[in-house]
Amino acid sequence: MTNELLFSYLILFLPLLAFVVNGLFLGQKSAKGAAAMGIIGNGIGAISAVLLAVSYLTSNVAPQKAVLFEFSFLPFKAISENLSGNIGFLVDPLSVMMLVVVTFISTLVNIYSVGYMRHDRSAGRFFALLSLFTFSMLGLVVATNLFQMFIFWELVGISSYMLIGFWYHKPSAVSASKQAFILTRFADSFFLMGIVLVSYVVGSFDFSTINALSMAPFYQETINIGIATVSKASALVLGSILIFVGGWGKSAMFPMHIWLPNAMEGPTPVSSIIHSATMVVAGVYLVARLFPFFAICENTLNLIMVVGAFTMVFAAVIACTQKDIKRILAYSTLSQLGYMMFSLGVCKIDSVVAVTGYTASTFHIFTHAFFKCSLFLIAGSVIHVVHTNDLDKMGGLGAKMPWTYWCALISILAISGVPPFSGFFSKDEILLAAFQGQHYIVFALALLTSGLTTFYMFRFFFLIFHGDSRSEHVRGHKIKEDFAMTLPIVVLALPAFLSGFMAKGLFAKFSVPSSLNIPQLVSLPEAKWIPFAAIGMAVVAFCTAWLFYASPKATIPAKMQQTLDETNRCGLYKLIYRKFYFDEMYYIFVRQFIFAGVARVCRFVQDYIIEGIVAFVVWFVHRLGDLVRYAQGGSLPFYLGTLIIGLLLWRFFGQLPL
Amino acid sequence: MFESILLPDLLLLAFPFIVIGSRLFCDFRSAFPWRVANIGFILIFIMLNMIPLASGEGHFFIFNWRLDDFGVLMREVFMVSAILGIWLSKDYFEHGADGKPQMHQIAEYIGAIAFATFGAFTVVSACDLLTFFLGLEIATIPMYALTAWNKKDQMGSEAATKYILMGSVATAFELFGFSYLYGFSGSLFFNDIASAVATNSTSPLLWVSILFLFSGIGFKLTLFPFYTWAPDVYEGAPTPVTAVLSVTSKATAIAFLAVLVFGPLAAVQEQMSPLIALLAATTLLVGNLGALKQTRLRRFMAYSSISQAGYIMIALLGPAEIGKSAIVYYMFIYAVANYLAFFVFGIIGHHREETFASLRGLSKQNPALAIALAIAMFSLAGIPPLAGFFGKFHLFFAGATTGHYFLVAFAVINNVLALFYYIQLIKSAWIDEPEGTLSSLRLNRRQRLIIIMLSIAVVALGFVPFLSNNIFAGFTF
Repeated sequence: MTNELLFSYLILFLPLLAFVVNGLFLGQKSAKGAAAMGIIGNGIGAISAVLLAVSYLTSNVAPQKAVLFEFSFLPFKAISENLSGNIGFLVDPLSVMMLVVVTFISTLVNIYSVGYMRHDRSAGRFFALLSLFTFSMLGLVVATNLFQMFIFWELVGISSYMLIGFWYHKPSAVSASKQAFILTRFADSFFLMGIVLVSYVVGSFDFSTINALSMAPFYQETINIGIATVSKASALVLGSILIFVGGWGKSAMFPMHIWLPNAMEGPTPVSSIIHSATMVVAGVYLVARLFPFFAICENTLNLIMVVGAFTMVFAAVIACTQKDIKRILAYSTLSQLGYMMFSLGVCKIDSVVAVTGYTASTFHIFTHAFFKCSLFLIAGSVIHVVHTNDLDKMGGLGAKMPWTYWCALISILAISGVPPFSGFFSKDEILLAAFQGQHYIVFALALLTSGLTTFYMFRFFFLIFHGDSRSEHVRGHKIKEDFAMTLPIVVLALPAFLSGFMAKGLFAKFSVPSSLNIPQLVSLPEAKWIPFAAIGMAVVAFCTAWLFYASPKATIPAKMQQTLDETNRCGLYKLIYRKFYFDEMYYIFVRQFIFAGVARVCRFVQDYIIEGIVAFVVWFVHRLGDLVRYAQGGSLPFYLGTLIIGLLLWRFFGQLPL
Repeated sequence: MFESILLPDLLLLAFPFIVIGSRLFCDFRSAFPWRVANIGFILIFIMLNMIPLASGEGHFFIFNWRLDDFGVLMREVFMVSAILGIWLSKDYFEHGADGKPQMHQIAEYIGAIAFATFGAFTVVSACDLLTFFLGLEIATIPMYALTAWNKKDQMGSEAATKYILMGSVATAFELFGFSYLYGFSGSLFFNDIASAVATNSTSPLLWVSILFLFSGIGFKLTLFPFYTWAPDVYEGAPTPVTAVLSVTSKATAIAFLAVLVFGPLAAVQEQMSPLIALLAATTLLVGNLGALKQTRLRRFMAYSSISQAGYIMIALLGPAEIGKSAIVYYMFIYAVANYLAFFVFGIIGHHREETFASLRGLSKQNPALAIALAIAMFSLAGIPPLAGFFGKFHLFFAGATTGHYFLVAFAVINNVLALFYYIQLIKSAWIDEPEGTLSSLRLNRRQRLIIIMLSIAVVALGFVPFLSNNIFAGFTF
């Protein structure tokens, strides 16, 4: 395993090295040097990740997990003998898959940024932070225990904060970064509580220990959790839900979803990496990582399913009406994350599990990463040309940006679930899992959403690339596609197309949760008709989109203008267009309740009571200081007197046995 | 064997005569005495370091001169103080500073410091009251002379007068205490006194003697309310003398108390603890309060060192081994940080007045000096990871071991107060804008070297374990 060890070090520490070097030395001097450092660091990391994956999957260890290195970081011996915060490197099919995806995408995004950030003065800082982001995500992925996961989880949070607010001179970017950070931190506080609770009950942070638990011994023992005394089994269920809340916020599930669309304020490469490989999939990854543990906790998986399924439909509906192309993609990500989430949730059928959902979910993480990254990069290229995010100003770009056009088509077919593109396979698996899990409502919603997905993606596609150009920047100008920006898009089109049927077998063979302590359902109903139903939905949705946005009748400028004008729509459309007023609700809640209510009370207590006490203490201490100074008047008789006074003082107050 | 161990003491005893005597044979401008002093002091320090620790009961020479581990380590503290003291003083013999004229007669000056150091050696070696008392006096009397060394400075003379008058009263207190102790136990020897104390621990004679001894030494250690001389003397004395006073004199006094409390009076340590705790608490409170509103640097350092004395007293409450090691460790760190501060003040005082206002703009004019000052202040305030934090930690740990949690908590709260005024000083150096143009600061090579060395020491002593290991693991009592 010596090679593997070397790879693991390279994977983890090269991005860190790139961050340190770029952040401290190179970044300020030369943006080109910083870019080269970022690309080389992440590129070697990607190669190592692929080699590690190959050597792991072909070894006889797979699909068992292996720990390449692990050292104790913070032992908590006082609480339990095994409770130790370790930093390690876990290798199993899930983490290997994520390593490949994260490093690969990160490398491409680094390359893309060369073009995208070419005219930005602080490109060096950008490349440094991008590497930090990658490093954090990699550390999270290879975590061997909850403790390490949490450390890197927070690192992911802080690096996303710095990247979303990268253009800190824009107030909207600053508020978006704050929103993302505060919301995810809010969720993380529950995560931390969950970690404390679970590790206290179990006596270990280690994933292998926690996943290998069986509930039986915990029903008898009780534990005091502060407000009530409950059985340890209930405490574990509570802990599992709390841990999930961490993933809930990080993966931006409803109702903590609002930060994700607003995070579009960051540079597009950042959106691309956040949405495809890092940050948001961390929540799904967390659930997948602890899947056996969640499976034994009574209703946790059902909760996950409900949250995921609702977010999926909710976000897809909103995506159908948006006009900001990055926001469309953001809601699309939310919807896809919903797929991944509920796919993990549907595994549970009463008291048994069917693991197809787990396989499907991890598979979807894999395929989604490529086409979503590609779509964001395409959106970035388009924005770079048109200088706006607004669909109003686009159209007719297809002929001017042929490479981008065709790659976009591939990615959109992939996300729509059209065979043989990658998304078809993973989405089909998810639908199948929902059906086999006997969650028919969720299944129906998922089918419907796949139709919606096709609709809004083709709306996106037609309005950008087809019809007449609606932008002065484009009309009559010749557009040159930037090589550094087009290359990653083209490279990504390949896995967006192929990764589905290439990797299907691998996932079916390897991606199964290890050490399940709960009976598995083996004989699952077959449903050969699902792919046809899904394709049918896609075809219907495609036709609708074409009718609305690309048919000769719809592309007449006057008609187009009417289509794009959201002000003359019915109430429901406006409601959806306004994202169900969730931003406003949050705004009102924060303004009226927190700022004007809670914060004001706290402020009052702070200003008048605490400050008052502090001011009094300060005043009092200063008066005492004056007294000491006053006594030090320089008069020798008084000084000599103090000797006698002291003697008498200690005679009476020294508690001597005299 | 004995001879080699005794060699540093003998050398130090002969040393003042050599330095002063060398003046007879050379020109008064000659640097020869200065060189001899340097070589001699450093040689003694090296020889002290060669004495193996962990020697149990210690070695006796004749019958009333004892060398144990505490003694050896305290000797090292005294030597560090002496060496740094003469290095600091050297500049004051080359030019005037802080509005005072230049000093003269460096050979005699070094001789006086050597005598005081030898007195301190005697205190930690004594086995009977007479030697003990002699040591304390040898350590104190040169200090009176040193305070008035600048003959043309009236402030110095006034300070020395105050110092010697009050010091005499304090000495009378001590002698009175000793005489009662002798009357109580019928012997001058520590061993006999210890057994007498163990058998009859409630005798009024004993407690009167303890009261007077604490009051007498309280003067030297600047405990409340016997500290009143300190701000005036620190202010009036030449700056290097202030530095020596605040380290050597304080170290001697705390060594005196440690020898007494953990030696002959060990049997009544428990009954003495309320007195010690009260002395510690009041001293550190008053020291901190006094330092709050000072504007003169040396006066400020006086109050700072008063409060430091309060912190050190806490260690006397602990068990012998932990308490003594904490004291030794803290004295090393205190000496280093204190001298670092005084070196910086000295450099500033060369060109300006030694006040807070003179520090303004230091961070822009000479960032290295400002950093050294900040390191010294943060260490004195006890901010991790600097050495001062670990030193204070061990002091508090010693106090907490015997259950004096309230005192420790009180000391920690007081530390916040201390932080306030130490940071005031850093604020002057780093944030406040200077008024008018600043006179330039020039450092010679010796000053630069010493400031770098001391800064490294203050940072490193905390977590480089060789010293603390040496002290905490290496020696048994």
